[in-house]
Amino acid sequence: MKPTGIVFFPAFDWGISPTHPEREERLLYTRDQLFEEGIMDLPQIVEYQPRMANDRDIARTHFCIPGVADQATDAHRISCGGALTIADAVMNAQIKNGFALVRPPGHHAMRVAHGNRGFCNINNEAIMVDYLRYHYGLKKIAIVDTDVHHGDGTQDIFWHDPDVLFISFHQDGRTLYPGSGFVQEIGGPLAQCSTINIPLPPGTGDQGILYVLDNLVLPILQDFKPDLIVNSAGQDNHYTDPLANMQFTAQGYAELNRRLAPDIAVLEGGYSVETALPYINMGIIMAMAGISYSNLYEPDYKGHRFEKQKAGSSIKMTVERLQNLWQIREALIDDTRKRQKEFYQQQKSIYYDTDGINEQQLETVRMCPDCMGYHTIDSHASLHSGDENHVFCISIPLKACLRCQGDAWNLYEDRKAKDDVYQALYMQDKVQDRFLRYSVRDGQEISFE
Amino acid sequence: MYIGIDVGGTFTDGVVLYEGRVIRWAKSPTKTDRIRESIEEVLGQLLPEQEGGKVSRIVISTTLITNLLVTNQIETAALVLIPGPGLNMLDFRLTEKEWILQGGIDFRGREIEAVDPSEIKEVGGQIYEQGIRKAAVVGKFCQRNPDQEIMVKSLLQKDYPDLEILMGHEVSGELNFPRRAVTTYYTLTTRQEWRKFAKEIAVVLQALNISVPVVVMKADGGTMSLAASLDAPCQTIFSGPAASTLGAFALTMDDKTSVVADIGGTTTDLALILEGKPLHASKGARIGDKFTHVKALAVRSVALGGDSTVRIKEGKISIGPDRQDKAACFGGSGPTPTDAFNVIGGGGIGNIGASRTTLASLCGGELSQVEKLAQSIVDHFIDRLEENVQSMMAAWEQEPAYKVWEIVNRRKVTIDRVIGIGAASPAIIPLLALRMGCEGFVNTYSTVGNALGAVVARPTLELHLHADTGQGVYCINGHRRKLEMPESFRISDAKQLAEEELEARAVTHGLTDYFKDREFYLEEQFNVIRGWSTTSRIFDLGISISPGVVKGYKGVKV
Repeated sequence: MKPTGIVFFPAFDWGISPTHPEREERLLYTRDQLFEEGIMDLPQIVEYQPRMANDRDIARTHFCIPGVADQATDAHRISCGGALTIADAVMNAQIKNGFALVRPPGHHAMRVAHGNRGFCNINNEAIMVDYLRYHYGLKKIAIVDTDVHHGDGTQDIFWHDPDVLFISFHQDGRTLYPGSGFVQEIGGPLAQCSTINIPLPPGTGDQGILYVLDNLVLPILQDFKPDLIVNSAGQDNHYTDPLANMQFTAQGYAELNRRLAPDIAVLEGGYSVETALPYINMGIIMAMAGISYSNLYEPDYKGHRFEKQKAGSSIKMTVERLQNLWQIREALIDDTRKRQKEFYQQQKSIYYDTDGINEQQLETVRMCPDCMGYHTIDSHASLHSGDENHVFCISIPLKACLRCQGDAWNLYEDRKAKDDVYQALYMQDKVQDRFLRYSVRDGQEISFE
Repeated sequence: MYIGIDVGGTFTDGVVLYEGRVIRWAKSPTKTDRIRESIEEVLGQLLPEQEGGKVSRIVISTTLITNLLVTNQIETAALVLIPGPGLNMLDFRLTEKEWILQGGIDFRGREIEAVDPSEIKEVGGQIYEQGIRKAAVVGKFCQRNPDQEIMVKSLLQKDYPDLEILMGHEVSGELNFPRRAVTTYYTLTTRQEWRKFAKEIAVVLQALNISVPVVVMKADGGTMSLAASLDAPCQTIFSGPAASTLGAFALTMDDKTSVVADIGGTTTDLALILEGKPLHASKGARIGDKFTHVKALAVRSVALGGDSTVRIKEGKISIGPDRQDKAACFGGSGPTPTDAFNVIGGGGIGNIGASRTTLASLCGGELSQVEKLAQSIVDHFIDRLEENVQSMMAAWEQEPAYKVWEIVNRRKVTIDRVIGIGAASPAIIPLLALRMGCEGFVNTYSTVGNALGAVVARPTLELHLHADTGQGVYCINGHRRKLEMPESFRISDAKQLAEEELEARAVTHGLTDYFKDREFYLEEQFNVIRGWSTTSRIFDLGISISPGVVKGYKGVKV
């Protein structure tokens, strides 16, 4: 039996600010617990050193404004590189599955990145998914986001992509940051139901979450038949988390990972640094490595406190609603395709809580009959400093048809020739793996490598 | 006059170093069951006249404890664990006689579950009934709070005063509960035998009129006094390869990056010296499938030696892992890699005719084929060594790191040199170096490099300090003390505490000459934030006097 791979990168010398939840101390007690247990010495586990993600890895997924280096510090590149290291080890069959236990996190980072939102600059899982598809030719990937906060960044990145199934369960957006992730958010017109959101009422515990897993998540995964399953493994559903209000336990997390059996897990949030993280991280590793977690519990864990919390009726209703939507997904897409014009457009307003940025986006997608269509994003950000960034981004998806590829490049060249309103133009060609930034002001074009 | 003795698996080597010159060396087959006699014999050869009084330093490196452990000739003891929550220790038995107690301490040294006196009483009874009179008591995170271990010990000894008990926090202050349990258990079950050996050595030396205190070689490439080793016999395991690595350094004395290849009869031990510093294993010494808290050099043993048996099976060459006889060129029956290297190198090692004859027997008596066959054997041998060197380097480069700084500034090194140690090295090292495209180093003393390493190795000392101002305590190597003024305790205070403690230990062990070479290998400070303010601080510091050569040693004169 192959071992489980771990990249443990606690970034002991990096924090958003000294007292911020995303600070140096966050994985200290997890380190102490993992090392004291000696779990890395077991033959079931192999530990890897993370590599650094390069500009190309990041530009394949994000439009970083103004450039990759402005959004991705060394810490971000290593955290993301940790996920890529695990991805390589899984694909090269060195390990049966792997856990990138890394920080800083990433699942609130959207396709266009002007700054930090929800403690995230670049999206580790999304970059890994695009990397896996480009380098290893994987067709279909499922991401199950088990962080207590809605994974709005990952949702945004794969919103129009029918080949990436994004499932997020989280505390109801009416009661928690980022205030999104409702049942009706099911993906772009040609990718309906490739996004599934399961808002849960505050106070949901092990029974509720496992109910959702068994009755909705696992059946959908069975239908979707992904080549690879990723767990976006936030740990803030825990009953002691200071930023949320759920009742999940370390045992619950371990059980969830046993049943979900992800190929790759990537750490996301979780800010109960002393009373939850050391135990949940142990639990996830044990479950992935097939080690018994019968003796794993938090010091204040009293089983009876949690036993009675069966899944409530509101959870059952949400699950039923989504089960029904999932059944009619193909009809929904067919119907939409008939009604849509050549281009679909949507306006979005995005707030960056950490950096205090307001961004207005106009997104345009070609409703191509042959592929998922090329996209453009007109993004206008007002920074905290009073500066404005106005940029135009073009994205050619990995499986774009020749017509969409040609039209997207023509559009890019046309815009370059015009004296435009934008500060910069960005071209993200996932087919050719070419990622460019054209500065309107000085006519310089750079390529992200 | 300095004396170094390395008791290896096959041979016991000894050297006498006098005014920077190796004036005598000796070699004698090791009698595994009677190590004292092997030492006595080599000492007899090294000091033919009554020169004992002139000896100012004597260092012994011995496989005694390694042998006891790998052949499982250790004493019977109970292992009593207090694991608390986490891995289920019922699934990970470390020893045959093992008991698991209630109780638990967390990572900040807080009690999370009390021990149960009635359970301890019951376990004590079971241990005693089985005729066991030794017990290792080890708790998870006991190095951050030893109270439960102490409580278990006192309750057990109240009922059974003759029970000999060793506690985990007395053995190691590092994180890793299974390694600490294993190391505590091995220390307890070998120290009686080691004390017996120490007494025997004292008698031998007295008879030779050697009055200086004996020093023993440790796995980390340093030495400690025989007196200090009485409580830590496990530190002496794998000291042979450590002595060879130090010997390689002692022969070159620069800051190049080298691979050390100690080529013995049936195995080659590979070690790395990175920019003049011997590389330590990241996980501690490993015995069988168990890791320990014994700090050791990173050594890879390859089952490939000068005397390994060469065979041809279905047209394919195989070398080792066994040894049948010495090389034909030295009067054995062969064929061995040494014979092949002898033929390729145009002789120079013993009787080349005998080498040709024995190789010919492998290719149906065809003398015309001998050169070709010898070349194939040599290629095969060099291939395997090189593969192992490369994978060792790769493993070192892949070692985990936990700080942004460490990843960004990751060292890339290239190998400058291969240093040969052992009798077969003069024939083999030049070809290995050629293959690796680097310098090859062998000299007159290569064959006794291990004993030379022992004679010049300086003492090492290491100390780990963990301070938690929120708990108001600090722990040095597992021993907990109260902080005087926790609120104002800063990293500078922590460093000062660590240095003072190291200095005190250096004085106790007579190592004041080396205190100036101390360095912090670990310096971590964390602010504990609860709510939105700093409530306390946690510090982890490691300070050490790392391996090197004794004061005054400037290199050997060839």
